[in-house]
Amino acid sequence: MTSSPEHVAPEADHADKARTVLQRVADLRAWLFLAFLILGFEIWSRVSFGGTFLFNPFNIQSIAVFAVAPLLLATGQTFVIISGGIDLSMGFIMGLAAVVAAHVINWATPGMGLGFAVIFGALVAVLVAAIPGLVNGMLVAFLKVPPFIGTLGMFGVARGVAFLLAGGTTVPVKNEVFAALGNSRLYGVPYIIMVTAVFVVIMHYLLSQTKFGQHNYAIGANAQAARRAGINIKWHLLRLYVLSGMCAGLAGVLYAARFSAGAAQAGEPLLLDSVAAVVIGGASLFGGSGTILGTVAGALVIAVIQYGLVFINVAPFWQFISVGVVIIISVLIDQAQRRFSGGRQSE
Amino acid sequence: MDRRKFLGAASAVPLTAAMATMAKAQDKKFTIALVPGLTTDAFYITMNKGAQAAADALGVELVFQGAPDFNPVTQVPVLDAVIARAPSAILIAPTDTTQLIEPLRKAHDAGIPVITVDTFIGTGVYQTGAGDADFPLAYIASDNILGGKMAARALAAAIGGAGKVYVSNVKPGISTTDQREAGFKTAMAEEFPDVVVLETQFNDNDANKAASQLQGVFARDADLKGVFGANLFSALGAGNGVQQAGQTGTIKVVAFDAPGSIVDNIKTGLVDVAIAQHPAEIGYFGLVSAFAHLTGNSIPVSIGTGFTIMDASNIDNPDVAKYIYSE
Repeated sequence: MTSSPEHVAPEADHADKARTVLQRVADLRAWLFLAFLILGFEIWSRVSFGGTFLFNPFNIQSIAVFAVAPLLLATGQTFVIISGGIDLSMGFIMGLAAVVAAHVINWATPGMGLGFAVIFGALVAVLVAAIPGLVNGMLVAFLKVPPFIGTLGMFGVARGVAFLLAGGTTVPVKNEVFAALGNSRLYGVPYIIMVTAVFVVIMHYLLSQTKFGQHNYAIGANAQAARRAGINIKWHLLRLYVLSGMCAGLAGVLYAARFSAGAAQAGEPLLLDSVAAVVIGGASLFGGSGTILGTVAGALVIAVIQYGLVFINVAPFWQFISVGVVIIISVLIDQAQRRFSGGRQSE
Repeated sequence: MDRRKFLGAASAVPLTAAMATMAKAQDKKFTIALVPGLTTDAFYITMNKGAQAAADALGVELVFQGAPDFNPVTQVPVLDAVIARAPSAILIAPTDTTQLIEPLRKAHDAGIPVITVDTFIGTGVYQTGAGDADFPLAYIASDNILGGKMAARALAAAIGGAGKVYVSNVKPGISTTDQREAGFKTAMAEEFPDVVVLETQFNDNDANKAASQLQGVFARDADLKGVFGANLFSALGAGNGVQQAGQTGTIKVVAFDAPGSIVDNIKTGLVDVAIAQHPAEIGYFGLVSAFAHLTGNSIPVSIGTGFTIMDASNIDNPDVAKYIYSE
């Protein structure tokens, strides 16, 4: 808050405070919805076959592992959506990073040894993932291309490059350390969950506690006001899309570690899940609102539904319907809440 | 009627001139187009290599053009562009049994012979005069129902002929993966009465989802014995789910198709058995059939290619390893 310029009117300060309170409620709403879902599955399990859903550590861990990839994409997407944009290229940037990680690790393992090859390969993959992010940022910030179109173009470019690098197929990785990163655990907690948790905490700090995060909300709420307040919007957007590219890059590296394979289409089915997670988490697609904590709840909601429906043995076609209905209900609740609290028009 | 007569007459010309055509085959270069179900899949890339080998041997120019995903909406424009270039013949893996009939009829009406590979239109039974999809000259593919049955037998053998299993599949509506699932269930029902086949789980080609589904099924049915992954990502995901659940070796995984990553998983024990198709064979015989037709020879209306069963015991044998899909 110290970064707020002095010439912001006091009324705006009140509005700001009111908004953060609303925001808190919105976060809580996603978590409440998650609790409600888990309760539903718990009751169903007990009634229908006398089992437990929540008190089975195996279920919790399976759901957490399932949520890793969509959550990493959704974390980057949260920043972009708050700024009023969207990044449609993340799915294939993830695939590109997975393929690059696989190739680089295979190439580096004989020379560097198992461990260093993994670190090197992961770094290269995340840096390569930053390149399409940088191009996205330049298109959106400097060439005024609407984010939807610019990142859709990059979706195609990243997809093509990823498939070219992969030779149109999946690239197997031969490195035991990398496979252990993807599948082993420490004190019962899988490494990929630890990596994701640390990353998400850092991203939460970045969004909620830093000037970068404050500027992000300001730009999404009202870009003109943000410009008049002296925020360098172009520079901000450039860094923003690089950040989302790197989130997708990390997701790609962890995917390649888990499946010991770099697949160009790894992230393709996850993109829409990631957008849904952000929206369920309480962000507005019009920009200006949303939190990382909300997005975590959103990603868990999707993971819990999809896992839970298998667990309670719902027939496959009903699973499609249930997932769709739950997403719609979740967003409807959000809309109703916004209307009651009159939050929208004040932005 | 007029048009059909005209076409009949037109096709009679090359037949009567067959000898001349064959003589001229050396100097007149045929161009044959191969339109795969999708371009980004080791199966079709390997098929293209088989077709290319035949094309090189016969002095034919091979054009490989397709869409990046398995979808009629994206395949049809590619097909239209291919037809516009008027190739000598088209080999195609149609992405839908009904939606591709009219687009392919355009090629047929333009006098371009059509042969379907891997997947089919209509019923897959051609040149019978029945139905509106009997115009392709031949269907060349592995018998996916048989492949599914082989997967069932391999899985039943691995689990000792009794226990709970399920099919991890992509999504409903794809002729080949639907047939694999049907064949699997038929063989289990007829030959292995002690095997219980649970609900099929669809993963939208997402390995992450396939892994989670395996964990969900296992969490409910702790006595799960095996899973059949009907395509690459279904098997890759199911194998990872078994690993995440700490059940490697206890829950058996049978995979369909044999790209490099599945073969690696056989070596590390994550996948127990892979049913490999012979895509190079499909491509080779597809091209040879088209060439034979173009040079005035008759061709069989259907060619079935085989399967190879891969497991840890034979994967290093060169006679088996040659069926690993090329990268």
